[in-house]
Amino acid sequence: MTLVLQAVVNGLEMGLVYALVAVGLAIIWGLMEMINFAHGELLMLGMFGAWWFSTTLHLDPLLAIPPVALVMFGVGRLIYTLLMRRVQRGETFAQIFATIGLFFFLQNSAVAAFTSDYRFVEGGLLSRLSGINLHLAGLSVGLPLLIAGALALVLFLALYLLVERTEFGLALQATSEDREAAMLVGIRPQRMFAVAWGLGAALVAVAGAILANFFAAYPQVGFPFTVLAYAIVALGGFGSILGTLLAALLVGVVQSVTVVYLPPAFKDAFVFASYLLIGLLRPQGLFGKF
Amino acid sequence: MPALALAAAALIALALPIPLQVAGYSYFVTVAFLVILNAMLGVGWNVIGGWAGQFDFGPNVFFAVGAYVAALLAVHLALSPWLGLVAGVGAAVVICAVLTWPITQLRGHYFAIATVAIWMIAQPIGATWELINGSRGLFLPLRPATGPLDAVVSLRFPGRSKALAFYYVILVLFAVTLVLLRMVDRSKLGFYFRAIRDDQEGAEGIGIDSRLYKVIARSITAAVFAAAGVVYAFWALAVFPEQVLDLNWSTFPMMATVVGGIGSLWGPVVGAVLLIPISQLMGATLGAGPLAGRGIDLVVYGVIIMLVAALRPNGLLSLPWRAWGRRLVGRRR
Repeated sequence: MTLVLQAVVNGLEMGLVYALVAVGLAIIWGLMEMINFAHGELLMLGMFGAWWFSTTLHLDPLLAIPPVALVMFGVGRLIYTLLMRRVQRGETFAQIFATIGLFFFLQNSAVAAFTSDYRFVEGGLLSRLSGINLHLAGLSVGLPLLIAGALALVLFLALYLLVERTEFGLALQATSEDREAAMLVGIRPQRMFAVAWGLGAALVAVAGAILANFFAAYPQVGFPFTVLAYAIVALGGFGSILGTLLAALLVGVVQSVTVVYLPPAFKDAFVFASYLLIGLLRPQGLFGKF
Repeated sequence: MPALALAAAALIALALPIPLQVAGYSYFVTVAFLVILNAMLGVGWNVIGGWAGQFDFGPNVFFAVGAYVAALLAVHLALSPWLGLVAGVGAAVVICAVLTWPITQLRGHYFAIATVAIWMIAQPIGATWELINGSRGLFLPLRPATGPLDAVVSLRFPGRSKALAFYYVILVLFAVTLVLLRMVDRSKLGFYFRAIRDDQEGAEGIGIDSRLYKVIARSITAAVFAAAGVVYAFWALAVFPEQVLDLNWSTFPMMATVVGGIGSLWGPVVGAVLLIPISQLMGATLGAGPLAGRGIDLVVYGVIIMLVAALRPNGLLSLPWRAWGRRLVGRRR
C-alpha cells in the first residue's frame, strides 16, 4: 500500500511537468483547433537549448528557461507565419501533413546538428539536489522533481490567468470561438494565431528545459511526449486549461502506478488505454465544457 | 492513368532490375524492392486515409501482425509463407475490425490519436509477449531450397538471386493489390468511402452506415499492410518488435501518398518512386563523409512534405500534367 501511495506521489510530481508539456498543445490544438504533430520536437529543442546553455556557457540549465522561452516564442510564430497559415483554411489532412513534415525536418536537423547521442545536463542545481528527499508521513518526496513541478505549476497558472483573465486571453478565446466575429470587433485573427503558436512553442520548450534535468536529450526524444500531450489534452477536455492540468496529474499517476505492477515498458500503454476508454465513453473529455 | 503510360510503367517495373542484377548491382535491386514495398503500403493506406478520409497513424500494427503470424506458422508448423500470407492477412483483418469498430465513433484528430494509441499499446506487448519471443525476436528457420519450385513455394532463394526474386514476389503482390483496389475503387464500396469522407452526415442521411464502412476501409488497409509484412519477414529472415512496429512503416507510405496525390489510386506509387530512392541515393553520395548517417535524407523529406502540404496539398498528380503535355506538343507543331 505504501508502495502504491509512494507511486501516486511520484506520479503527481511528474504530472505537474507533463501539464506544462501539454498546455502548449492545449492552446494550439484545444483552443485554436490546429493540429501539431511536431509538438514533441519543440520540446526536444528546449531540451537541447538547456543542454547547450549548461555545457557551453556553464550556467545552470534552469537559467536557460527565459532565453529558451524567448527564442521558441519566435520559432512558434515563424512556424505559423511560414507554414501553418497556408494550410489553416484547407483540409485537415494538409495541416496534419505540414506538421509531419515539420516533425521530420526538426528531428533530423537535430540529428545533423547534434548526432543521435544522448546528452546529459550536468552540474545544475537540480542534479546537485538529487537524492535529497523530503519525508512526509512515511512517504518520500524527491526534492528536484518537487522544485521542477512547482516551477511548472507557477508557469501553468500564469498561462491560465493570461488566457482566462486578461483582455488578450479574451481575444484569443474569441478568435477560437468565431474568427469572423472576432474580426468585426477589431481582433486580427492571424496575429492571434501567431501568438498562440508562439506561446505554445515557448511553453513546451520550457517544459523541455526543465525535463532536461531529469532525462537525456536526444533528437528522437520528442514523439512519445507528442502522443502523451495529445492524450492529456483530449482527456482533459478540449479547450479546458484546468482540465489539462488535472488530466496531466492523472496521467502521471497512471504511469507510475502501472510501473509498480507491470514491466516499465507498459507505463505508457495504460495511459493510452485510458485515453481510448475515456474517448469512447466520454468524448468531451473528463473536464470538457460541452 | 492513360493506358500507354501504364504499359510503359509496367514494362519498366518488369525489366529494370534485370540489367542491374546482371551488372552486379543487387543493392539497387533491393532499393527497387523497397520502392515497390512502400508503394504497396501507400496504395493500402490510401484506402483509409485517402478514400475514406480517416487519418490512420498506426497501420504499421497490421504490418507487424502479418509478419508475426506468418513467422510463427513457419517456426512452429513449418508452414509455407504463402499459407502464412493467407493466415496473416486473415488475422490482421479480424484484429483490425475488432480494434477499429469502437474507435470509429471518434472523428478527425481524435481518430488519428486513437490509432496512435493502439500502436503505443502494441509496442510493449510486442516487446514482452513470450509467445512471439518478446524483444529477442523470432528467427525464421533456415534450410536451403531443394529446387526452383520449392524456392518459390517456401520463399527461400539462394545467395545473389534473393534480391531479384523478392523484387518479383513483391511486384506480383503489388500488382494483385492494384487490381483488387481498382475494383474496390470503382465499386459501390469506393463510392461509400468517398461519400463518408466528403460529408459524413450526408452519407448517413442516404443510409450509409459510416461506422461499418470505416471499419471495412481500415480492414482493407490492414490486409495490404499484413501481406507486405509477411513478405518483409521472409525477406529479413527475422521479426523483431521494434523493427516491424517502426513508425516509418506508417509515415513513409503516408508521405508517398501525399506527395504523389492523396485519394488517387496511382498517387502513392508516384510518391514512393520519387521519395524512397532519395534516401538510398543520399546514403550513397554522402558516403562516409561527416554528414553520413545524420538524417539529411529525412530533413529533405521533411522539406518536401511541408512544401507539398503548403503549396499543393492534393499532390503532384493533381498538377495539370495533361494541359502541360498538350501545350508542349502544340508548341512543337
